[in-house]
Amino acid sequence: MKSLVQSPGLDFHKREVYLGWGLVFPSVFIILSLILYPIVYNIFLSFFDVSLGSSNTYIGLENHKNVVSDVFFWKALMTTIIYVVCTTLGTTLVGLIVALVMNKEFPFRGLVRSLVLFPYVAPVISVVFSWQFIFDPVNGIVMDVLVERLGILSDRVNLIGSPSSAVWVAILFSIWKNFPFTYLMILSRLQGIDQGLYEAAEVDGASGWEKFRHVTLPEIYFITGSIILLRVIWNFNKFDEVFLLTGTNVKVLSVYTYYKAFVGTMEMGQGSALALIQFILLIGFILFYVRKVLKW
Amino acid sequence: MKKLLTVLLVFLMGVSLYANGQQESSEPEIKEPVQIDFWTTETQSDRQATIQVLIDTYQIMNPNVTVKLIPVDENDLATQLNTAAAAKNMPALIEVGAENAVAFGTEGLLDEKAATDMIGIIGKDAFYAGSLKLVESPTSGSYYATPYHGWVQGIWYRADWFEEAGLQPPNTWENILKAAKYFYKPDDNQYGILVGTKAEAYAEQCFTQFAMSNGAGLFDKDGNLVFNSPEMKEAVEFYAELAKYTPPGPQTWRARDYYLQGKMAMFFYSTYIMDDLALADVAAGSLTNENFTELAGNSFDPELVENTRMASTVSNRKDAGYGVVNSLAFPAQGDAAKTEAAKGFLRYLYTPNAYITFLHMAPGGMNPVLKEIASNERFQNDPKGIFKNYGKDKMVEIIAGLDSIETFSIVEGNRIAAASTIFSKQIIPQMLYKITQENIDVDSAMAWAEEEMNKLK
Repeated sequence: MKSLVQSPGLDFHKREVYLGWGLVFPSVFIILSLILYPIVYNIFLSFFDVSLGSSNTYIGLENHKNVVSDVFFWKALMTTIIYVVCTTLGTTLVGLIVALVMNKEFPFRGLVRSLVLFPYVAPVISVVFSWQFIFDPVNGIVMDVLVERLGILSDRVNLIGSPSSAVWVAILFSIWKNFPFTYLMILSRLQGIDQGLYEAAEVDGASGWEKFRHVTLPEIYFITGSIILLRVIWNFNKFDEVFLLTGTNVKVLSVYTYYKAFVGTMEMGQGSALALIQFILLIGFILFYVRKVLKW
Repeated sequence: MKKLLTVLLVFLMGVSLYANGQQESSEPEIKEPVQIDFWTTETQSDRQATIQVLIDTYQIMNPNVTVKLIPVDENDLATQLNTAAAAKNMPALIEVGAENAVAFGTEGLLDEKAATDMIGIIGKDAFYAGSLKLVESPTSGSYYATPYHGWVQGIWYRADWFEEAGLQPPNTWENILKAAKYFYKPDDNQYGILVGTKAEAYAEQCFTQFAMSNGAGLFDKDGNLVFNSPEMKEAVEFYAELAKYTPPGPQTWRARDYYLQGKMAMFFYSTYIMDDLALADVAAGSLTNENFTELAGNSFDPELVENTRMASTVSNRKDAGYGVVNSLAFPAQGDAAKTEAAKGFLRYLYTPNAYITFLHMAPGGMNPVLKEIASNERFQNDPKGIFKNYGKDKMVEIIAGLDSIETFSIVEGNRIAAASTIFSKQIIPQMLYKITQENIDVDSAMAWAEEEMNKLK
């Protein structure tokens, strides 16, 4: 019996290949066991009536049918779409505008640039508590300003508590919390644009808007496109910010899934089915977006 | 605080070691080292520190037993215990409301025999009979858990405001509604009453008293669901009407701060509020607006305790009181050694010194279920001097109230286990939330609740 290394069948190239596999094996193994296994097990569970005490019963597509025929699922999907569209548009626009401003020369620019990052780096749980206090209907500053000082509203309302307004507070919160990331990415791209392009445009007599439209925008197109994709993926699955701020008032899909699977009657099977449907929707969107917008 | 705890620890150890020497060792000795988990619903850090002192003391006396204290929010308890059961990782001892104890017991999550044994050892006659009734299983003389402490609920109100306005105390539906309307002045940022409108246990606690005072139950004595009755509908409608005079949006017990700030006339609360009302430094820990003098409202009023009264019964068709008993239960975790260790620790928790130390964490809120302790001098003399403010007679009266608590789950002496399940699934709070926050009409919301209740059978 010959040892592996001395084997005449293994040339230099093959040994490189084995070494490569050997080196990536630990991380591949960890990824498979911690990410792929739960996903597969989740898909598997979605075909069962899951019972915590006794064994599970196979029920085919029953869970998926139940979920899709439930009006609350469609409400949750609608809420999710509103949430994702508004937060993505909001973070991108605010991030873009702030990045354009920060790209100009002004005193203390370095300090301001780093201060803008604050909402993004602050721990979510602590800012959530301050937002809840700010929006408290009786003691909060928002109602004091809107009702007592400006008289815009005639009655004090509980913006975070009421199901109809809570989603808008959650959207506002998400934009405030996450725009610095967009800003940071776009700003770094802006700094890399060749100044010669602007000079050439000026020679051609381009106005400020035309310079933005024909030079800046094409230069930041792909970075912005990628950030939008990431933001959609992140916010489509967003749980922490929404749940911590509004409890189960804003039932986006992930909160709705949690509510189904772990609150009250604990429909684990339906929870799995929901997670699967959410996953398929997201994958579908990613494939479409990558082809059409990012032009891969 | 730390110093106090250290002194407490030393004191307890001294007393316990002495007492241990005196007592004949009736407890089974634990020979092998064993570690048990103890879930408590006392999630506040100062309470945990006190319980930890009790545990440390116990561990010194019983070196083979390690007790790990794990705080679990009351609202999450059902979810957590079910998850732990599925993961075969149940604690050996939990502190749990009597309603939940019965619900868990019915699901087979609790060791009934261990609890019944312990009640026998402590002595059935030592307990207030009412508290035992709340944890009894369908088998007479068998118990899902051992009652540990309890509180009584009522409407706390501004007696000075009522007097000035010439209003009667809020003890009947009519008086309550009249006062709620009178004091509801949203333009001045002042509200009439606080009733629970968020889908949490607090809403059910407030609502139960109204339903009971209207003779509306969930089940008849044979266990048939009679939720959808005219009496119940009347109670729900009345509750929805009261909710209009509550601060905006879904509210829960936390909004009692508005009362402490002088922005509210009445609120439902248990005797737990006694220390907040009586002690300026405790109240100062709650929200005040002295740093925001521009904001509408007043800062904390030291006269508040003298101006506050409690109406413990609500009357309409009949009088109804409400309270809750907390118990200690042994989850059926399947390891006999751990159960034995948990039994030993539980026995220790009922010894006068440990028991009184535990109860004094929340004077007024935690009242003993053992008659002997209620009249104990050391118990009456709480470290914060709160009981003195109310007087010994009033205190004994409040504690004796534990004997006449009414709940949905006991109808004419029969225990209806399904009612406890309904409580732990929070169906009624969700119904009240739908009506008061999502503007769903009373009939459809009640129909929804009835459907959910039927699903549980």
